[in-house]
Amino acid sequence: MKTLDCQQHARQGRFDHSVVTLAVRCLGIALLLLHWFACPPNATSQSQDENASEDLLRDDAMQSFKTKVQPFVKKYCVDCHNTRPEAQLNLETALRNPESAASFRLWKKAVASVKVLDMPPEDASELPTDQERQDFLDSIAKLKYLASRDPGPFILRRLSKVEFGNTLHALYGVDSSLSSILPDEVVGEGYLNSISPLQSELYLGIANQVIRSVIAESGSPVTEQQERLLGNLPADPQLYRTEARKVALSLASDAYRRPPSDSELEALLSVFDLGQENQLDYMSSLALMWKAILVSPQFLFITPQPGIETDSSIVPLDDYQLASRLSYLLWSHPPDGELRALAEAGNLSDPDVLRSQVQRLLGDAKSRALFDTFGAQWLSVGGLLDQTFDPDLFPEMTPAVRSAMLEEVRWFFQSIVSENQSIFRFVDSDYTFISDEIADWYEIEKSDDASTVQRVKITDPNRGGILGMPAVLASTSFPTRSSPVNRGVWFLEQVLGEHVPPPPPDVPDLAASISGDPKKLTLRERTEMHQSDPACANCHRILDPIGFGFENFDAIGRWRTVDMDGNPVDSQGSLPSGEAFATPAELKEQLIKRKGDVARNVTAQFMAFSLGRPLESYDERVLDELMNRLAPDDYPMGTMIGEVVTSYLFTHRRISK
Amino acid sequence: MTGRHAINRRTCLMGTGAALALPLLDVMSEAQDVGETSQSPPVRLGFMYMPHGVIMDQFWPSDAETFLTSPPPAIESLRPILNQCLMMKGIAGVSNGPFQGAPHALELSTWLTAALPNPDRRNEVNISISADQIAANYVGSFTPLPSLELATMPQTWKENQAGLNEAYYSHCSYRSPTQAVPAEINPRSVLNRLFQKPDDSAGNTPAIEPLDRQLLDRVLIGARDLRRTLPIGDQRKLDEYLDSVRSVERRIAAIESRQKEAAMAKAGVRTSRVKESDAPPIEIKIPEGDKRSEYMQVMCDLTILAFQTDTTRVSTYIGSTPNGVSYPELGFTDKHHSTTHHSNDPEKVRKVAAITKFNIDQFAYMVTKMADLTEGEGTLLDHCIMMWGSGLEDGDRHTRANLPFIIAGGGVGSLKTGRFLPNVKGNQGDLLTTLLDCAGVPLDRPIGIATKQIDEIKA
Repeated sequence: MKTLDCQQHARQGRFDHSVVTLAVRCLGIALLLLHWFACPPNATSQSQDENASEDLLRDDAMQSFKTKVQPFVKKYCVDCHNTRPEAQLNLETALRNPESAASFRLWKKAVASVKVLDMPPEDASELPTDQERQDFLDSIAKLKYLASRDPGPFILRRLSKVEFGNTLHALYGVDSSLSSILPDEVVGEGYLNSISPLQSELYLGIANQVIRSVIAESGSPVTEQQERLLGNLPADPQLYRTEARKVALSLASDAYRRPPSDSELEALLSVFDLGQENQLDYMSSLALMWKAILVSPQFLFITPQPGIETDSSIVPLDDYQLASRLSYLLWSHPPDGELRALAEAGNLSDPDVLRSQVQRLLGDAKSRALFDTFGAQWLSVGGLLDQTFDPDLFPEMTPAVRSAMLEEVRWFFQSIVSENQSIFRFVDSDYTFISDEIADWYEIEKSDDASTVQRVKITDPNRGGILGMPAVLASTSFPTRSSPVNRGVWFLEQVLGEHVPPPPPDVPDLAASISGDPKKLTLRERTEMHQSDPACANCHRILDPIGFGFENFDAIGRWRTVDMDGNPVDSQGSLPSGEAFATPAELKEQLIKRKGDVARNVTAQFMAFSLGRPLESYDERVLDELMNRLAPDDYPMGTMIGEVVTSYLFTHRRISK
Repeated sequence: MTGRHAINRRTCLMGTGAALALPLLDVMSEAQDVGETSQSPPVRLGFMYMPHGVIMDQFWPSDAETFLTSPPPAIESLRPILNQCLMMKGIAGVSNGPFQGAPHALELSTWLTAALPNPDRRNEVNISISADQIAANYVGSFTPLPSLELATMPQTWKENQAGLNEAYYSHCSYRSPTQAVPAEINPRSVLNRLFQKPDDSAGNTPAIEPLDRQLLDRVLIGARDLRRTLPIGDQRKLDEYLDSVRSVERRIAAIESRQKEAAMAKAGVRTSRVKESDAPPIEIKIPEGDKRSEYMQVMCDLTILAFQTDTTRVSTYIGSTPNGVSYPELGFTDKHHSTTHHSNDPEKVRKVAAITKFNIDQFAYMVTKMADLTEGEGTLLDHCIMMWGSGLEDGDRHTRANLPFIIAGGGVGSLKTGRFLPNVKGNQGDLLTTLLDCAGVPLDRPIGIATKQIDEIKA
């Protein structure tokens, strides 16, 4: 049992500390948590501060840093959290440079641990009062006012495997699966840009295939694509080079998603010359030039226009770059004709134009790609197709059923985006999308047409929304059973955007700490053993009760009233703020009070995704403004995407430092 | 080999940032010609990995004296060639430093780098160049492929222990501090890649065409202006791509020179690369089913073939990545990772021992086969240094005080085999440094945490 439960613990580690007693802290917990989780510090400080000038906010932030944070950290943290490597978190540097990006990440971790009473550890000689904790948290939340206006870098980004395939298809009409031989991407925070010789060779091979499938063999009639892309053979050989230059310009403008510079054109023409010098005919020389384009970094990466010199360290994206960034973000496709025309006219950076283009792109079927890139990642359902389920216990989890589960989430996500519904509909809605494979989950009769996905109205208040969706529920499960702990973590992180502190590195063996056979305990009893171990207790006291509220759903998301051992399901759960619930329906009611947090979390997740980097201090302020603008309309999803795309962060980049 | 070359690749690579489109090829091929006059066969270096550690009392030999006569159960399958094997206890792994919570992200990524990831850039790939790639930089210019990277499973794993980039989980080879080298997992495409077959029906092979080398050269020139415009960080990203393009150029050059050589041999001009008495290249049979042993054995065969034909001199094979693959062939489906947290439960210990033995059996399959293939005055294995190992000693407690390694092959007489050294003092960087030195790779600095060489293992 230990090994199963603690697999999730492999995620992150933290400084190990021995623990003596926890009695001291129990009293304060309920009250404190009630306050923090019900009114996060952001929300309270925000409204008061709105009218204050930048300077006042900065001064106030600095002041409270000096009076509330510095003494707290010095007194309770830096004895351990200094340069000692095993402490993982060096708060000494954060004290010196509170507003830097690096410190921001450290503060985030510190806040997560202080909030759930995970730190300072139980055995510390002195523990902070509730008021001290609260002041610390509130003051850290103000540090964003010290950050300077900074859009962050826009790291040169290689097209993903999917984007690359889509681009080949859009530009040359070839099958987008040509890219499938590329290695699978490893996605870190942002993007693993690294590329190997193997991959370069694969790009060469793919280029050969693209060219071969478009250009007719010698003797056969010219294909339509070939004529469109490479034109016709000039009657006069004297014109070869002039015509080749025109072809280079047109091919490179498409492939580079911007006009090529003169020297880029010359380099391409030198490839044409290479063909000619080696006795290739005109068309084959053009094909050679085309191949050079297909393996050029300008094609494989989203690049700015060369040759624009500037002294400033922050520049707006040029219109072409903006078109590419937007199009790959929402479609995973290259910019279409309309976007490119707007970029060429220099109109795309106009916020109104950009906003209306976002809505146009979201209305197009190609925006389904946004689920695969963002939606599945946000909801952590991306691994469902490959997830292990014990085939004896869950023979139902066939590939077809798993796909149907994912399709449900995909259609649901898409409906909220394209209908510009409130972000809150993700957790509370009265419809879903069902195909025959998962009709049983909803106790809905199968349709006559087995292949279709149908939008159906839901009357069961426990379903409707991601909290009751089979794909989501199954994704958090172990191969043999549901995991209340995983569900608790998922809910806090993916729905509310809370940061759960990582588990200790050497998770003690729970089974060893009790007498008797752990197998005879109920799942709740076994899970609650976490709370008997002081090193685990404080976090699990928050995580587990949330997860128990979902226990009416089994490991693959079916409703049940009896658990796997034949006992009646005990689904009493509670939120960190104390509200009890026993069903997803009751949880949804509680969540209405947290609507702003749910919307902020989805917005923050989308923002980080769209920027390809974790959010930093200054981003929090942009986020604040954005949420204020979205609140009056009840946080519409499509509008939110438009606001992120037109934000300073998305439309600018830092180029030095 | 040391000192015979006009210029080595490492020297060239150090200057690549500035020398964007400089064709290194002519200088390099001169160096190659000098190298090829050498009569003794080249040393080949192979590394094979298993995650999660071993059952210690079944892995470590009881003492130096009985190593050959009663080897520990885990290495039973190596018995026929034990006198060509070498084991040593006392090689410490890299300490986890600031990544205490990341034993599994570190076990593979530190294995050949002997270094920790950069903690300030932990969400990116930022570690040291790995030993295999240092070797490939040096000997790789003599062969069509600088190095061969193989794995049994896709290198994607969605987990970032201690905030470390996910690539650390599944990659052991690093071309540069910021570039993880992906491994091939499809035996058929490895075969095609080794021998440059034309595209198969599935389009699996990138066929290199006649003018590609000059074409790539012009692609590099075309990127010059763009590079100048980019901020430093982006330039680095672009350079990684350009560098990979450049290495394809080099590979094409190596293929072309092989073709020239073959043509000369045909015309009666012997180049003495292959002797009449050498064993013919082994046959490769791609397995039909999904049996893990067959799959691993074909990867081993491909390594043998690549070495035999001097297609490459450096290989890595990640038998599995640290994420709980299971071994149904052994009669149980428990995941490797969770089983290694055995808390001395006898049933789990038995299973971990079986998994370890299974992995060593595959290594034994490879090296015993090498020992049967004549090459020059000896066997292929005589000219190899094959290292098997894991990134943890005890997977249950994540310890790495005595990393488990088995070395097979004499490295052209540079290693003294047939021994177990029970009390070696050193670390994994020291070991890698020693092995590279035995392979004739000159080092301008120690590898990772190395401070010395393990002289005891040398001949």
